[in-house]
Order: sequence, then structure tokens, then C-alpha cells
Amino acid sequence: MASKVSLKAGKGKVVKKSAAADEDEGRAAVAAKFVKEWSTWAMKKAKVITHYGFIPMVIIIGMNSDPKPSLSQLLSPV
Amino acid sequence: MAAPAPPSLAVASAPPAAAEPQKVDYLNLPCPIPYEEISREALMSLKPELFEGMRFDFSKGLNQNFSLSHSVMMGPTEVPSQSSETIKIPTAHYEFGANFIDPKLMLFGRVLTDGRVNARLKCDLTDDLTLKANAQLTNEPHMSHGMFNFDYKGSDYRSQFQLGNGGLLGANYIQSVTPSLSLGGEVFWAGQHRKSGIGYAARYNTDKMVATGQVASTGMVALSYVQKISEKVSLASDFMYNYLSRDVTASVGYDYILRQCRLRGKIDSSGVVSSFLEERFNMGLNFILSAEIDHRKKDYKFGFGLTVGE
Repeated sequence: MASKVSLKAGKGKVVKKSAAADEDEGRAAVAAKFVKEWSTWAMKKAKVITHYGFIPMVIIIGMNSDPKPSLSQLLSPV
Repeated sequence: MAAPAPPSLAVASAPPAAAEPQKVDYLNLPCPIPYEEISREALMSLKPELFEGMRFDFSKGLNQNFSLSHSVMMGPTEVPSQSSETIKIPTAHYEFGANFIDPKLMLFGRVLTDGRVNARLKCDLTDDLTLKANAQLTNEPHMSHGMFNFDYKGSDYRSQFQLGNGGLLGANYIQSVTPSLSLGGEVFWAGQHRKSGIGYAARYNTDKMVATGQVASTGMVALSYVQKISEKVSLASDFMYNYLSRDVTASVGYDYILRQCRLRGKIDSSGVVSSFLEERFNMGLNFILSAEIDHRKKDYKFGFGLTVGE
């Protein structure tokens, strides 16, 4: 009797534990999916920004350095 | 007059005698060469930038740190083909570039007419930690590459951590063991292809010669040896063996650095003879000639060009 009761109680505990573990795992998987999606989105945006903006950024940094060159020097071929 | 002369003679003879039997101070070794440049002398002598067609580079400095560059290149470019014949398609492109060089920050950007951008950044975050980033971006999807490197330099070692797209992770470490010998190793993991590898490298250099060796688990064994015959002449040789695919290439070359020109020539075990000449006409005007003759594949490439600007 006692062993049967303890066995049933044991099974219940096991079922509850696996449900809790599943829920935890599910939450972790959803969080991981969110992080992956957001990081992929961020990488795509970073790639587009770098592709179009890197050279203009270098030119802006260069034109603001000392001694400051003029716009005519930037555009003329001499 | 006579009194000061003997002391100066004694002083002049003392340093050479002290330099020869110098006790090696193992706690004070010099900082080694970075891991990726371990065979840089051999690379500079044996692998010049050979090209085919016409090349014109114009580089204009706007101030000491900032410069623009315009480059025109016309010539056939190789297209990868299945058959053993090389297929060449004539192309012409113009490349615009901007460089900003500061003691702490270096920015390098190049953009081509087909929309490809080649960007490099090097930033000294602190005295010992450097961030380098490198990207080749195209308009085609999935064809862009980017890589970040964090370098940490110690008193007699260097370590580097790499992070690249496609899940590429890498780390390498190099340590000076004696004033002439440095040993290093690297590991990498490519997430997309699920491949990992480990490699070791060693470099032994004296004033007159540099010998390097590299082994990697990808099957590559590379040995190189450069001997500096004089200030103007150095000879280099290189041996590359892949023990998984049983592929061997050996090459021998020379590098003459003369006052007005630099001439590099090389002959290969796969029947390729190549040569590269850079001649200085005037201050800021360089003439370049490049030739690569592949007897086995019957592929002959000749190029000429002009470089204006520093």
C-alpha cells in the first residue's frame, strides 16, 4: 500500500517536473528565437548602413580634421 | 688632443664587443610579429599584385591625414569555369577611395562602379588593445563578408580574437621564445560549414634571414625562407603542401630594391613564371609592369600601369 502510494506520488511529481521543464525550455526557445530574429534584423540594417554610409562617413571625418581642407579641394581633380 | 682620443676609441670599440656575447634576457624579449603576418617577408617578395590590362591610380592628399584615390582598371578578368580552359571577359571599372589615417584611427574605404564596397577600420582602443574590422559588401544577397578582430599585445606575446559572418570564430596566440624565435598557434570554427581547425606556426629570424613554418589541421603545410643577400637584393623561396589533397607548390623568387625601381621575379613548380616591376620616374610618378606566364595552362597575362601620387 505504502509503496503503491509513494509510487503514484512519485509519478505525479515526475509528470509535474517534466511539465515545468517543458515550460522553461519553451520559454528559453522563444527567447532564443527572439534574440536570433532581432540580431539578424540588426545585422541586415548594419550591413545596409555600412554599405551606403561608410565612405561618406570617412569623407566627413576627413573634412573635419586639422588642417581643414576646402570643398574645392575635394571636388577638383588636381 | 691626445687625451680625449684614446677614450673615444675605447668607447667605440666597447659597444661592438658588448653586442656579440650578449646574455639573453628571457624576461625582456621583444614583441613578436602578428600571427597573420608571420611570413610577411616571403609574401612581399613572392606575391606582388600581378594584374592584367591597364591600371591607372591617382592618389590625392587633401591634408596630412586624409586622402582620396581614383583608380581606373581596364582588362580581362577571369571567370571561374568548369573546364580546364580559363575564360576571360574584358571589363573596365573605376574605383573611388577615401583614406583617413590618424595615429589612433585608420579608415580605408573603396567603392567600385558595380556597387561593391571594401571597407577597413583599425582603431587603437587602448595602448595594448586594437580593434580591426574588414568588410566586403556587395549588392548581391549572401555574398558579403565581414570580420572583426580584437588584438591584445603584451610585452612578449600577441593574442587575437576574430569574429566573422557566417558564424566564423577564431583565436590565435604568438609568443617570443628567444630573441629570434617565436612560436604561435591558432584555432578557428566556421559555423556555417561546421568545420573547425587548429594550426601551429613558428618563425625564426636573424638580421640576414627569416624562416617560417606553418601547419594546420586543414591539411596545409607551408614553409618559407627569405635570405637577405645585401641591402638591395633578397632571395625568397616558398613551399606549400596539402597533405589531404596531395597538392604541392614550390616557388623561388628574387626581390631587387634599387634606388629607382623595385623588381620582383618568381618561378613556380606549376610552370608559372612571373615578374613585377615598379619604376619611379619622378617624385610621385611610378610606372608598373606586370607579367605572368603560365606555360601549363597556356595563360599569358601582361599588364602595365601608372601610379600618380604618394
